[in-house]
Amino acid sequence: MLILSRKCGESLIINNEIELKVTEISGDKVKIGIEAPKDYKILRKELCQTVEYNRAAASGSMPEEMLRLIAQIKK
Amino acid sequence: MKIKTRDFGEIEISEGEIVTFCQPVFGFEGSTRYVFLHDDEVDGHFVWLQSVDEQNVRFILISPSVVSDDYRPKLPQEIRQQLGEGEYESWLITVIPEDLRRSTVNLKSPIVVNPSSMVAAQVILDEDLPIRFPLFDNAKEEA
Repeated sequence: MLILSRKCGESLIINNEIELKVTEISGDKVKIGIEAPKDYKILRKELCQTVEYNRAAASGSMPEEMLRLIAQIKK
Repeated sequence: MKIKTRDFGEIEISEGEIVTFCQPVFGFEGSTRYVFLHDDEVDGHFVWLQSVDEQNVRFILISPSVVSDDYRPKLPQEIRQQLGEGEYESWLITVIPEDLRRSTVNLKSPIVVNPSSMVAAQVILDEDLPIRFPLFDNAKEEA
């Protein structure tokens, strides 16, 4: 992974079409402004991962064997 | 009213049992009305979250108490406003793969329900929690 240091107000340009700008830094949070073409979908990573997880969850099933395993972990 | 479920065929439910999601399950925005179903033969730590709007949309949820003694998600103010006043319940979405011992729960994005208002939401918490938390210890050791 490429790692660069930036100050508040400074930007990065990706492929001449996307600008990422650090707009605010406070505590452990950074606010980032993004300028990108309209058809670029920008999502927080945890949202993508949650959607992916939800899709996997909706397709699973609940075999009887699972209940036996669960009974073992409960205190 | 009668609804078609994915795992239990056609069942009869009352309107009062329907939970409305103010923030739908992410990726399933077409379903906002669900019922919680309990299978008498299955341990009470599991519930089925069955969509009323789409028969094939259902999730198997597990009580956080199975994996943690103190799971108290901090909810954003706007979500609390939409859920209304009451004692909220949290449930975790499970993924149960063919190799059951690799089952996981999502601690980062719980389903939160207010039984008083019958409003629910899936919430992505700010806290640093895993999206794929192994349900069984042996899987944790391998990870």
